[in-house]
Amino acid sequence: MDKFNSENAQESLAIVDDVIAQTRKAIASTYANPLLILWGVIWVVSFTAAHLYLDYAFHIFTAFSVVGGIGTFIIVRIFHTKSPIRGPISRKEGWHLFWFWILLFAYVLIWLAILAPFSGRQLNAVLSTASMFAYIVIGLWFCSYFMVWLGLAVTAMTLIGFYLLPHYYCLWMAFTGGGAILCTGLYIRFRWR
Amino acid sequence: MSDLDNIIHQPVRLRVMSAIVALDPGEQIDFIYLRNLLKVTDGNLGAHLAKLEEAGYIRIEKTFVARKPRTFIIASDKGRDAFSSHIAALRQIIKDTQKQ
Repeated sequence: MDKFNSENAQESLAIVDDVIAQTRKAIASTYANPLLILWGVIWVVSFTAAHLYLDYAFHIFTAFSVVGGIGTFIIVRIFHTKSPIRGPISRKEGWHLFWFWILLFAYVLIWLAILAPFSGRQLNAVLSTASMFAYIVIGLWFCSYFMVWLGLAVTAMTLIGFYLLPHYYCLWMAFTGGGAILCTGLYIRFRWR
Repeated sequence: MSDLDNIIHQPVRLRVMSAIVALDPGEQIDFIYLRNLLKVTDGNLGAHLAKLEEAGYIRIEKTFVARKPRTFIIASDKGRDAFSSHIAALRQIIKDTQKQ
């Protein structure tokens, strides 16, 4: 190490930066980005469709939720076996996460039943903010802070659309809510390339 | 110069540590992926990983995923601290040279 000089130190730091950048590409290919891209697309398409065909909004959201659920299951299965990065989420914690989502929506339905009657827009805003609440909790739990910021941002956009733009609520949610989720997924996917 | 870590200083081990500290704490990297990323042989990587494990800088976990054996490597807190100190030492060398 006697001949180790500034030039060698710079070369070492360049190697470190290069390896870190390459490794982060692998991180980008784990669960977060494909799931965010999937749900971002689902939000954009389903909210846009709901804006155009308001009478069928309930059926549209139900159908796309089923598609999202199946897509999520497939992505988790594929990435669990193929990902070069294994997250801190163990199999047991994965099941905890699954039941957390199920119970969250079960409780939301209970609260909605208690608070009924409500409009379609109210139902949608409650379910959207409940999803974002889950993002925030998961982000805090696993120290994935981008999930916290995304959850807070989409919640704010939902409230803006709900109170200030009631006639364009679905369109607003498609491009701000869905757009934010989709862009976060794409940003994670490509930011290290 | 004295702050440079002799174990991490070796080029392959520096790259190994760079790859695993790029992950969040608790995340693990697959042995095969690491081997391909660093363009080294199984034996070469295995020897350097053994050295890092011996120093307490990494942990190696062998497991089965979809019935196939896989090896994952995870950085220990001690390893992360040692890597940070090594990087700080490298930056200090550059800084000291610029002052002269």
